Amino acid sequence: MTMKAQPSKAQPSETQPELVEIAVDGETFSVPKGKNLLEALLDVGEDVSYFCYHPRLSIVAKCRQCLVGLGDGHKLVPACQMTVQEGMKVRSKTEQVREARQAILEFTLLNHPLDCVICDKAGECTLQRQYMDWDGEASLVNHDKVSKPKKVDLGPDIVLDAERCILCDRCVRFMAEVAKAPQLLFAKRGDHTEVSCAPGEQLDHPYALNVADICPVGALTDKSFRFQSRVWDLWSTRTVCQGCAAGCDMELHHKDGDVYRQVPPKRWDLNLNWMCNDGRRTYRQLLEKERVTHPSLGGERTDPDTATTHIAEALQGLIGAEGSPIGVVLGADVSNEDAYAGARIAQVLGARLYLGDRPDDGKGDDILRLNDPNPNRAGVRAMANKDLLNTKALAEALNDGALKALLVVGDGLDLPAPAQRKLNALDLVVLSTPFSSALIKKASVVLPAAAWTEIDGTCTNAAGEVKRMRPAFEPPSHARPHWDWLVRLGVALDADLGFLDAEGAFSEMSANIETFAGASWGDTIPTQRLRFSGRRG
Amino acid sequence: MAKVVSIKRTLWDALYLPSIIKGLGITLRHFFVNTFTSREIETLRYGEWDLPDYKDNPAKPEGWRGKKKTRDLPDRHRGLHRLMKRPDGSARCTACMMCATVCPANCIHIEAGEREDATSRDIEKYPATFVIDELVCVVCGLCVEACPCDALRMDSQQMMKPVAHRDDAVQQKDQLMSRGATSIAVDGGAGADWRNEYARLGDARQIYRPDRSFSDDPIGYRIRNTDSK
Ligand code: SF4
Ligand code: SF4
Ligand code: SF4
Ligand code: SF4
Ligand code: FES
Repeated sequence: MTMKAQPSKAQPSETQPELVEIAVDGETFSVPKGKNLLEALLDVGEDVSYFCYHPRLSIVAKCRQCLVGLGDGHKLVPACQMTVQEGMKVRSKTEQVREARQAILEFTLLNHPLDCVICDKAGECTLQRQYMDWDGEASLVNHDKVSKPKKVDLGPDIVLDAERCILCDRCVRFMAEVAKAPQLLFAKRGDHTEVSCAPGEQLDHPYALNVADICPVGALTDKSFRFQSRVWDLWSTRTVCQGCAAGCDMELHHKDGDVYRQVPPKRWDLNLNWMCNDGRRTYRQLLEKERVTHPSLGGERTDPDTATTHIAEALQGLIGAEGSPIGVVLGADVSNEDAYAGARIAQVLGARLYLGDRPDDGKGDDILRLNDPNPNRAGVRAMANKDLLNTKALAEALNDGALKALLVVGDGLDLPAPAQRKLNALDLVVLSTPFSSALIKKASVVLPAAAWTEIDGTCTNAAGEVKRMRPAFEPPSHARPHWDWLVRLGVALDADLGFLDAEGAFSEMSANIETFAGASWGDTIPTQRLRFSGRRG
Repeated sequence: MAKVVSIKRTLWDALYLPSIIKGLGITLRHFFVNTFTSREIETLRYGEWDLPDYKDNPAKPEGWRGKKKTRDLPDRHRGLHRLMKRPDGSARCTACMMCATVCPANCIHIEAGEREDATSRDIEKYPATFVIDELVCVVCGLCVEACPCDALRMDSQQMMKPVAHRDDAVQQKDQLMSRGATSIAVDGGAGADWRNEYARLGDARQIYRPDRSFSDDPIGYRIRNTDSK
């Protein structure tokens, strides 16, 4: 997968830009007028090398790697600094251009340590790639390289190898323009220039980790990924970040059942190409939280069928009873399919539906992160819009003793302590959850559920976009998706929910629920090995 | 295309039995000659790793009747792996995982660590664990070819000895290093003056020059033509 330029946000797709013809090495192409020439060239499949250009950052034309010839002019110009004009004649494959790009690479590599052997960027390094594509020559210089600090601790997440930096200015621009916190700057002069933090500052912005992605070399690297794995040993699964309601697209990079990092996909059009630090660290909850792996009945391990039969028997007397004494809680962390199955079971049981969510955490900003930490609030809401009661209503119902049985789907419920104590008085508390929590002690039946890295399904972000989550791993032991448990419970209750897999649940859901009309299940993107994945940054 | 030859089978061939008796006769002749004459018979004992010792110590081992055979293993014989050392005794390996990546048998397992005491001259990455499962290894030598640091070699002139338990064939870092020696290769290469250095050492290595004409290679790397200079 090579990085392809996408139309930037600055040009909304509704207004069709005027197309003009340009000639690239004698071949004619129609490209939008005023478009960045480098992007236009990449779009038409031209192989142009570049380091410093980034569609979300201002243009500095610092690296000089994207040189092209224009018209008959002898002097070459950086393509990233030009915009497409009618009748432009671009030379990109001539000997002169090739030699220029090769010479620039040689210059960039003058003081580069070439410690690819121990460099975490190796395998997805733009410099490595450009060198293989455009240069491939041994250095002609007989002087010692300038040596710079190899391990500068810039902040909690990032470590800098100053020797590897090619001074492309992407990180400095990112901090100034996107993060709007100019924590990085260039210090010293000439070939002694180094990226550094402003005096007294450290690189601790909540979006700082993006600089490790956009750095075209291994100068800025993620501390928690340092020396953990070579990138080509990792597998990549495209899924959706579960850190907040924004639901950013992301790639989960994993190996042997362990997640190594979470990064935005190499697409300039998806979540602005960024992800927040917290979002990138959501995989840690998989390590920190204790997993539930076996169904249990009153604290004792049991088998799946006994568990569901027990629930069905305990519920039998309550179905249709006076004042609907059954409650079903849909956690705002479950997938749309899980929530739909939960809503269907609630229908069967004549139960009240509650939304189990966590309160706003106030960590929102104006880049990506929202205040709402619940990844699928919008999707769960859509199941029963008005009829969906909130956590407060649940606490009240528990206080009044209006409920006799409660089914909690997901790990999203954040019940105040007094209400939690009231759970003891209930006949039946069923908890379907991937993680162990305080609630588990109150539950008479615990069903182990698949975590978000193991789910094939969809979730809905705050903007109402239905996004596909893809599984990176198999759920452990007896864990399975919530919807699977609910379908089994349906069987035990003699009720057919009408679907047997996530895609079936999705198509039924999009047929029955208005919000999902026309939503698509999404492309199949198989888990891929990163061995030949091209470059990142 | 191979040429097709048809051989005519005579009646003598078709009988089979005479040939079998003839062959049996040769076997029997060797059996009787070897049993009843006191000739010294040349043989190679199983476990050739012993042989260099015999060369150094020409006295025949006890109970050894045959004529001693002093055939050394060739220099490039692929024996048990060993990890080479830096002058300070640490492993040259930088945990770059090239060997583990190239290994077709997936039998090299390395966990990288970081040297907290590394100065700017040191390489900060090192193998915290380095394990080779010699039973899974197919002795292809690709790991040695792949190593950019002259850290891993198979020139130990030792063969894998039989083990009672499979676990015993899993070589740990200390075992691999116990066979190691200090490499003459310079850490970090010959430096900026490498051309003169190579000339001085008489290094016949050619500078690798790719053919940089444009091509439509789908992987994106230009096909290299090492002949073009
Ligand atoms: S930045 Fe790229 S070229 Fe430089 S040492 Fe790292 S992988 Fe190699
Ligand atoms: S640290 Fe990376 S992103 Fe920043 S200037 Fe250097 S090469 Fe560019
Ligand atoms: S010799 Fe071949 S199979 Fe054995 S460890 Fe090396 S690369 Fe793997
Ligand atoms: S290739 Fe060489 S330096 Fe790299 S991990 Fe293997 S032994 Fe160590
Ligand atoms: S990409 Fe054009 S000068 Fe760097």
